[in-house]
Amino acid sequence: MTTIDEKEAISLPQENGLAIINSKAPFSSTHGKDALDIALIFGSFEQNVSLFFQGDGVYQLIAQQDGSLLSVKDYLKTFSAFEFYDIEDIYVCQQSLANRQLGENFHISDVQVLPSIEFGAALNRHQHVLRF
Amino acid sequence: MKTLAVVITTPPYSPLTTTAIAYVEAALVSGIDIIGIFFYQDGVLHANNDIHIASDEYQAIEQWQRLHQEYQLPLHICITAAEKHGIACDSIDNEKVNEAFTVSGLGELVELTTKASRLVQF
Repeated sequence: MTTIDEKEAISLPQENGLAIINSKAPFSSTHGKDALDIALIFGSFEQNVSLFFQGDGVYQLIAQQDGSLLSVKDYLKTFSAFEFYDIEDIYVCQQSLANRQLGENFHISDVQVLPSIEFGAALNRHQHVLRF
Repeated sequence: MKTLAVVITTPPYSPLTTTAIAYVEAALVSGIDIIGIFFYQDGVLHANNDIHIASDEYQAIEQWQRLHQEYQLPLHICITAAEKHGIACDSIDNEKVNEAFTVSGLGELVELTTKASRLVQF
């Protein structure tokens, strides 16, 4: 019995969900849009999906951007629909923001800024990971 | 029973695809149940019948066909990505689509992810 208790104590709680890591800036490639499409599909199938923003991916969350100035469809506007898809767990890497001298002025609310260790721990709670 | 699903986002001319195919075949040989391969982003180009790689280069498309035939490995392409990459999927015979591949949507990725013990992306 003791060994089982110990095993449970050290194992992290497992969420049976998908984590999507966004690591690219928004308008220089389609990675952000492709990741968004997956997130919305998982949301509409009522599957758990969490979003992680890391590296240049943090630029996807910064307020007052307009893709239409670059003739790019502004998929970032769709982020405001996350709550309708029950996508509630949105994490940003604090170090990635600091490295780029970015503040926490995001265009959506309920974004959690986490230090690297906790960012990694949150990622570890997911069964599956996709990276874009 | 442990099951595996694989997501391919790299094109047939990418060296990363070579690694993916080696990984998938190693898993199949060792008896791991691969429930499906999902091709997304540039990965859908594997299903494009109009792609011809020089004969002295690695033939990724042939390798997928072989794995499909030998192991009945399901190969799914995302229809939205396919259309974006010049692979018309709306006709009845879908002549642009390699017959080893099934035209699916992102819903298939949801299904593979929820069923698989592990999801690996290349």
